[in-house]
Amino acid sequence: MYDMLAALINGALGWGWPEWALNLLSYILIVTIVLVVAPLQMLFFTYYERRVIARMQDRVGPNRVGPEGIWQPIADGVKMFTKEDIVPQAADRIVHFLAPCVVVAPTVLMFAVVPWGPGMVPVDLPTGLLFFFAISSISAVGLMMAGWASNNKFSLLGAMRAVAQMVSYEIPAVLSLIAIVMIVGSLSINEIIAYQTGLIISNRDLPGIPDLGLGWFVFTPVGFVAFIAFFIAALAEGERTPFDIPEADSEIVAGYMTEYSGMKFGLFYLAQYVLNFLLCAITAIIFFGGWQGPGVGWLYAQGITPDNPNGNGLFNVLAGVLGVFYFLLKTYIFFFVMVWLRGAFPRLRIDQLMDFGWKFLIPLTLANLFSAALWVAFTRWGPAEGMLITVGWSPVLRWLAAFVVTLAINLGVYLWLTRVYAASQAERRRAELEELSAAA
Amino acid sequence: MLQTQELQVNIGPQHPSTHGVFRMLVTVDGETVVDLKPVFGYLHRNHEQIAEANSYLQNMPYTDRLDYFNSMANNHAYAMAVERLAGIEVPERAEYIRVLMVELTRILNHASAVGFMINDMGAWQTPLAFGMREREKILDLFEMASGARLMCNYFRFGGVVRDLPPEFIPNLRELLRALPAYIDELERLLRDNEILLQRAIGIGILPPEVALSYGVSGPVLRGSGIPYDVRKAEPYSVYDRFDFDVPVGKVGDVYDRFLVRIEEMRQSKRIIEQVLEQLPDAKGGHINPKARQNVRPPVGDAYARIESPKGELGFYLVSDGSTRPYRYKVRAPSFINLTPLADMCRGYKVADIVVILGSIDIVMGEVDR
Amino acid sequence: MTASPFEIEIPRGRVIEVQRDDTRVRRGGGLLRGMAVVWKHWKESFKLNRSYSQIHGTFTIEYPEERPRIPEAYRNMPILLYDDETGHELCTSCFQCERICPPQVIHMTQAKDPATGKPVPAVAEFIIEYDACMSCGFCAEVCPFDAIKMDHEFELSTDDHTQLTVHKEQLLRPISYYAKIAPTMWAEVRESALKKLQGNIRRRPDVIGLAPQLTEKIAARRAELAAQAAQAAAAAPVAPAAAPAPAEGRKLTPEEKAAKLAAIRAAKAAQAGESATPAEAAPATPSPTPAGEAAPPADKAAKLAAIRAANAAKKAAAGEAPATPPAAPDASAAETTPSAAPPSDKAARLAAIRAANAAKKAAAGEAPATPPATPAGGTAADAPADAPPAAPPSDKAARLAAIRAANAAKKQQSGDGS
Repeated sequence: MYDMLAALINGALGWGWPEWALNLLSYILIVTIVLVVAPLQMLFFTYYERRVIARMQDRVGPNRVGPEGIWQPIADGVKMFTKEDIVPQAADRIVHFLAPCVVVAPTVLMFAVVPWGPGMVPVDLPTGLLFFFAISSISAVGLMMAGWASNNKFSLLGAMRAVAQMVSYEIPAVLSLIAIVMIVGSLSINEIIAYQTGLIISNRDLPGIPDLGLGWFVFTPVGFVAFIAFFIAALAEGERTPFDIPEADSEIVAGYMTEYSGMKFGLFYLAQYVLNFLLCAITAIIFFGGWQGPGVGWLYAQGITPDNPNGNGLFNVLAGVLGVFYFLLKTYIFFFVMVWLRGAFPRLRIDQLMDFGWKFLIPLTLANLFSAALWVAFTRWGPAEGMLITVGWSPVLRWLAAFVVTLAINLGVYLWLTRVYAASQAERRRAELEELSAAA
Repeated sequence: MLQTQELQVNIGPQHPSTHGVFRMLVTVDGETVVDLKPVFGYLHRNHEQIAEANSYLQNMPYTDRLDYFNSMANNHAYAMAVERLAGIEVPERAEYIRVLMVELTRILNHASAVGFMINDMGAWQTPLAFGMREREKILDLFEMASGARLMCNYFRFGGVVRDLPPEFIPNLRELLRALPAYIDELERLLRDNEILLQRAIGIGILPPEVALSYGVSGPVLRGSGIPYDVRKAEPYSVYDRFDFDVPVGKVGDVYDRFLVRIEEMRQSKRIIEQVLEQLPDAKGGHINPKARQNVRPPVGDAYARIESPKGELGFYLVSDGSTRPYRYKVRAPSFINLTPLADMCRGYKVADIVVILGSIDIVMGEVDR
Repeated sequence: MTASPFEIEIPRGRVIEVQRDDTRVRRGGGLLRGMAVVWKHWKESFKLNRSYSQIHGTFTIEYPEERPRIPEAYRNMPILLYDDETGHELCTSCFQCERICPPQVIHMTQAKDPATGKPVPAVAEFIIEYDACMSCGFCAEVCPFDAIKMDHEFELSTDDHTQLTVHKEQLLRPISYYAKIAPTMWAEVRESALKKLQGNIRRRPDVIGLAPQLTEKIAARRAELAAQAAQAAAAAPVAPAAAPAPAEGRKLTPEEKAAKLAAIRAAKAAQAGESATPAEAAPATPSPTPAGEAAPPADKAAKLAAIRAANAAKKAAAGEAPATPPAAPDASAAETTPSAAPPSDKAARLAAIRAANAAKKAAAGEAPATPPATPAGGTAADAPADAPPAAPPSDKAARLAAIRAANAAKKQQSGDGS
């Protein structure tokens, strides 16, 4: 944004603004855009989810308000605003009021590091990924506040479940991302996207591959396992079926949201859908190249970039449009998958969720970390690092070797873990039954 | 050991998954159920007392409202009780029509019961929507024959109110053609689903001895491994003319009940096919023309029971020779199947309660009469 | 479990144990299969699912635009039928439906012959409380005259609870309507129903049993009745002779009275010409009886007053000397009715007053009770004819005039008697 503004105001218009003014203006613009886009995404997602899941259930979904029901979320929003705000008498009023704010704020902050297109990132933090997950954990505090302040047993149960779940599932999520970070060698989200050029194989691994922006991590065994693990963890983080345990409506009514109504409830809803959007977006960014896609890289190279200050501004716009299109397309596809899962599956039980997280997902991601290390060793290390096998191999051979080895390791670990996990579950069930019969 | 405090949670009477107004007073230790006390009566509407103030025929539409999923089955049991009391003959064709309707009811009940159970497990309506779609089609057929979808009020003493309309049989045949594919699809969606297995296997085990001692019947009893089915144990109507099997479970958990229901849908389809084969040769009309609807049965009592989709449904009637029953008693399967709930839930997690409740398949209209 | 003590003999069939394998190691295949099923549904959902043999496709019926085909047997709420041709209601108020109704929401009163007070096979008022109706269809089943049938109309929602207590006017539907929604079911009973109806029509005097909303039919029927009466009057010279007879003997049988009224009406009809429009026909009923029949049920009180007034007048005419006890309610009823009348029909009220005055004068002038009826009736009938613009509400006014006339006559009569 800064580059474009500088080119526009100081370059094309020749006004000669100082740097601080340009910075200030660019940040104000960015914040405005983010604050407008976040609720709009949420509105769109509610509509999108309802329509998609209705189709899966042989229904039509909301199609009455406006053409094909597109204004339905607006109507819902109006309803939320006009509803009475009820605070239970026994509730802690201040905490009850603060909780939704504490939940919403971090989700909006997370937008700060999400790149929408080439050069279209609000803040290009070198530790963007760390920031993203550090901030996302804060909302757990808000959930606990909501559950505790409501002074309702269902709320409390829901909040306990939510916090336990979020804390447990951050581990596999971050572990699976670390594998990617190891390969890229940077925590910067922009760097991770920049790595995913090429065609099936990344340009960085194998120079000379034509750059179609398709060198996504998901095409490698390490990236694939990390993607699956991360997506499962993201479902748990975003409280999506089959992990929507904190708000399991059939068990604990609405979890921590039970005692909320009106716009406070709406804020929880907003936070949840914005978080879902962000989780889908980060999945698209890390494993599917974000805005990378055929043509974006080439278009962007023609535009005004730090490397190429004499480019044509039109190409910047074109690259941006195409990049945002690819990015949103991928994000929406992931949200479709989330809805698809919601349409297909029942939910797990809280202890089973914990079991699955700790006994299956974390070992899997740890093994994947090992695979990632091997991947790095095979593709990059030389005699200096003590990697003597690959001396003299061509890059293609190195890449192939890395692929085969990591695939073998990941597949083997997966098959082994399923067996071990099944055995542990059977053992647990047996023990539970024994306990039950002993009690009886 | 950490000292933990036990927490009492009221699940219901207003709760998304108590299938009506039903309250469970649950004592939990963390998420584990220490004790559970079912509290019912919130939907009590004096059904039996009202029935004693009504004439025999006037009660027929009220029986629809007991188990509002299976009005045909309720009608059947009540009509049988009155026919026994008053000694009314039922023509063969009417019996076949009755069996046809009750077996269709069984399919629609099991389809939606499975859907509701999976819904309680947290699936977001999809299995329920699939179950409901099949149910809608069967309800269309009911509407064709009886004029109403839910409150059919189709049975009369000595037969059924009107013969099947001409478009009924062709539509039913079409439905039957699609039914196996539908059941297979439901099974494919759910049967091997790892999440469902996790939630269902070993949950809510009801040992056969306990089931018997509580007087449980229907798919819940068969899920516990006891092949008791009124249609086989005491063949009423024309059930002795059909070939069908009785599915039983192995362990008696939620998963067994689910599988038994799926299998019973297949068996019901078999029965309906046999009905369609034998129906054209059946003698008599749709109703015994000599049967008076305004019955005045002789002094005495009668009990009739059928295998309703939810279990053994019985009507006990005492006549004092007037046009109104002196005593009218319903043996409601939902109510009796609900009684071992505490035994089934103890030691499991809070989230399992609703699944176990869903697997029993209750309708509060029948539990609280 | 098979070797357990719960072995049960199963005739014709086997006990099958469900297939399950708890120990198999599962690797997510079931999840993927489930997702495939859902995907198939999503993919196929852009097609419609409208047949019984289809398991994919959108099942929704988009209700207000698209409606399901309602089967013939469908039953929602009960309705009453009337015959298109004659306008006669099929209901004979036999009370079968009222008796069978499980929630007891059907209420009716039987019509009575105004002249004789004997019950007539027709229904005066018929009320069904739709809000408590359970749509069981028993009423339609037991009805021996096929007068009550179950409607297919289901859009009955209203924000006014009183709208759900439905009166006869709203309940009545023509037979053609029912024959359209349930052709075969009507065809089965058509013959017997119409035959029974013909029998009942013969036993219904005057305009009793005609659907009240069919004003043209009622008018035509009145004209027909009047013509018959006129013929009768012309044919039998007894009728003119009957007029002096009561003056002497004060013995007027109800039949004679009716005949006389008919004669008066016939004269009026002759005056107005044979092409009597409904607007004219309604005022042409100074006699309380037809006025009562033509009255919308809302102003029951007025009807009641008219009937009572008529009865009183009759009694007075018959010369029963003691003052009739219901005189007081009469007066009150007669006084309350004008306030209920819309202010617009001043002309009608004027006519009423004029009629009343005329009646009083006539009563004062001549001692015998019967002659006053003639001028009074004549004036009342003439007066609204002077004010045709106020035609529809003026039938109320005409009734009022009749009541006043009757009261005046009675007062006069009782004054004479005392």
